[in-house]
Amino acid sequence: MSNIAVQRIKREFKEVAKSEEGAKCEIRVELVNDSFTELRGEIAGPPDTPYEGGKYHLEIKVPETYPFNPPKVRFITKIWHPNISSVTGAICLDILKDQWAAAMTLRTVLLSIQALLSSAEPDDPQDAVVARQYKENYDVFLKTARFWCSCYAGAPKQASNGFEEKIKWLTDMGANEQVAIRTLSSSSWNIEKATEELFS
Amino acid sequence: MQAFGFFRNKVPVGLHVNVRTNTGVNIQAVLDPNWSVNEVKEKIAPKLGFPASEVKIIFAGKELDDSFKLSDCDLGQQSILHAVKVVRVSSGNQATGIPLPTALAHSLPVMDSNQQGEQGRQIPHFYVYCSSCKKMCVGKLRVRCAHCKEGAIIVSRDPCSWEDVLTPLQIPGTCEVEGCGGDSVEFFFKCAEHVPSVDSLDALPLNLVKSNTRDVPCMACFDVQDLVLVFPCSSAHVTCLDCFRTYCQSLLQERQFTYDPVHGYSVPCPAKCDNSLIRDTHHFKLLSAELYARYQRFGAEEFVIASGGTFCPQPNCGMGLMPHPDCRRITCEHGCGFVFCRDCRQGYHIGECERTDGSECSSNTDDRQAYRVDPERAAAARWDEASAISIRVLTKPCPKCRTPTERDGGCMHMTCTWPQCGYHWCWVCQNEWTRDCMASHWFA
Repeated sequence: MSNIAVQRIKREFKEVAKSEEGAKCEIRVELVNDSFTELRGEIAGPPDTPYEGGKYHLEIKVPETYPFNPPKVRFITKIWHPNISSVTGAICLDILKDQWAAAMTLRTVLLSIQALLSSAEPDDPQDAVVARQYKENYDVFLKTARFWCSCYAGAPKQASNGFEEKIKWLTDMGANEQVAIRTLSSSSWNIEKATEELFS
Repeated sequence: MQAFGFFRNKVPVGLHVNVRTNTGVNIQAVLDPNWSVNEVKEKIAPKLGFPASEVKIIFAGKELDDSFKLSDCDLGQQSILHAVKVVRVSSGNQATGIPLPTALAHSLPVMDSNQQGEQGRQIPHFYVYCSSCKKMCVGKLRVRCAHCKEGAIIVSRDPCSWEDVLTPLQIPGTCEVEGCGGDSVEFFFKCAEHVPSVDSLDALPLNLVKSNTRDVPCMACFDVQDLVLVFPCSSAHVTCLDCFRTYCQSLLQERQFTYDPVHGYSVPCPAKCDNSLIRDTHHFKLLSAELYARYQRFGAEEFVIASGGTFCPQPNCGMGLMPHPDCRRITCEHGCGFVFCRDCRQGYHIGECERTDGSECSSNTDDRQAYRVDPERAAAARWDEASAISIRVLTKPCPKCRTPTERDGGCMHMTCTWPQCGYHWCWVCQNEWTRDCMASHWFA
């Protein structure tokens, strides 16, 4: 890895730790190996969103040509969001692609991703299913996102919407729990549709 | 030609300069840097044959004031001073006698002037690429008559911007060479790091390189370095020279330089500001020789493509060709002589192009059969063919410009990697990216 990239990452590491957001535990970053090529990021779900109370882990891969090319970032924690793939965790955010600029840092990247959680852009969706639900059935979208947050990101359990029963119904029939959750979420918790999709 | 040998006895560390008159006489002299201009006149006047009061000394476009000290003039070894007999009283419209390099410290806003409080100022540094030293050097700004190319010319005003310096004929002047009558000046640069010879070429000004007198951190590594490159964007973003090289290298490796019809093959500032393309591509001389060669090749190729040209497809040829736009049969003229079809880039043929999928063998003619080849050995030894096949297997061509493109993860939404194309296309449909692609197969 080039000297510039390592030097930059070391400094950005400190920047995140010393930042106001870092002190409030809203963003965090830690090393995965000694080479600074791979990092683990963490952001707190922003308040007044279905992600509030959750902790989201991110995989950050730093390219050889950093900071002239963007880091590759993806969610490790599963999340229900129009601009993030519910399957792979890939993020659709312009600054991670063609709008990247060398003046951006790990801190600004983490804050931008946190901001994306507050304001989705369903017209540019990474996950078309979630985007459609967001636009057509916002109430179900909110409930689903909150459910995923408590399931995968460690937020406190919310009042039951009958989701657990539906999941149990599918797992009792032999479905994998994660697959059951995703299928139910995609079909807006319509148990007939989900069953049909899984078993036909 | 006369030598002022007697100066050498008095001045152990002297400035060796050439004094040239407007009548073509050339005198070598050794001067003490602590002398005033008046003292210089006293010393050289007898050798010129007219009284000191009638001599005016011109250096870098200015008549030097009597009281000026030589050490304040950015005079280097082997510099040329022009000694001219006063024929008329200088009129008021000429710039004052502060030597030009010093005056520029004030007039060029972004130039580093290295000011040191009240105790006088240092002469500003210019950075140039010197083709003799083959590296970036400290440079000297000089002036000459645009007509006769002699230095005995007085500028009518100081340049106020790099525009004034880099654009020829921008500033009027009065040439003192007899019978010339030139009335405009041109600025040029010399390398200050090697002793100039008569046939020294002008050095190439690297006007974006500056001494980091304001301690601006590099936008890439955040270090404060002595030398920086200031991009021409409105924010004047700064990188250190090492990061500039790395930046260019990372773009060049992926062929991501921008082709601009006016400024050529260049890069914007790393923050991608508007209008931040480097306009003087000599700055890429800062790259290693190998990278610069690649830069030149890519730049030439992009120019050929932008002008409607194509390249010879023969291995080890690749000659740039500018065939007639309507002609499908192209001959590699001045190159290998290969005649090929513009559409399929195979040998020229009559009728429609054949689709090549790599599986077909070239037809063996009878006279080749005596030469038997072990097919296994041959398969193992097919380096070029193997990479051609793996490119074919791993990539899909951009539907618009045919650039082979590999998808290494992410979604199916492809953006053509060739900056001059940038087409948005769908990996599945191999056609333009649409909302339907987004809805039905964004991921798989």
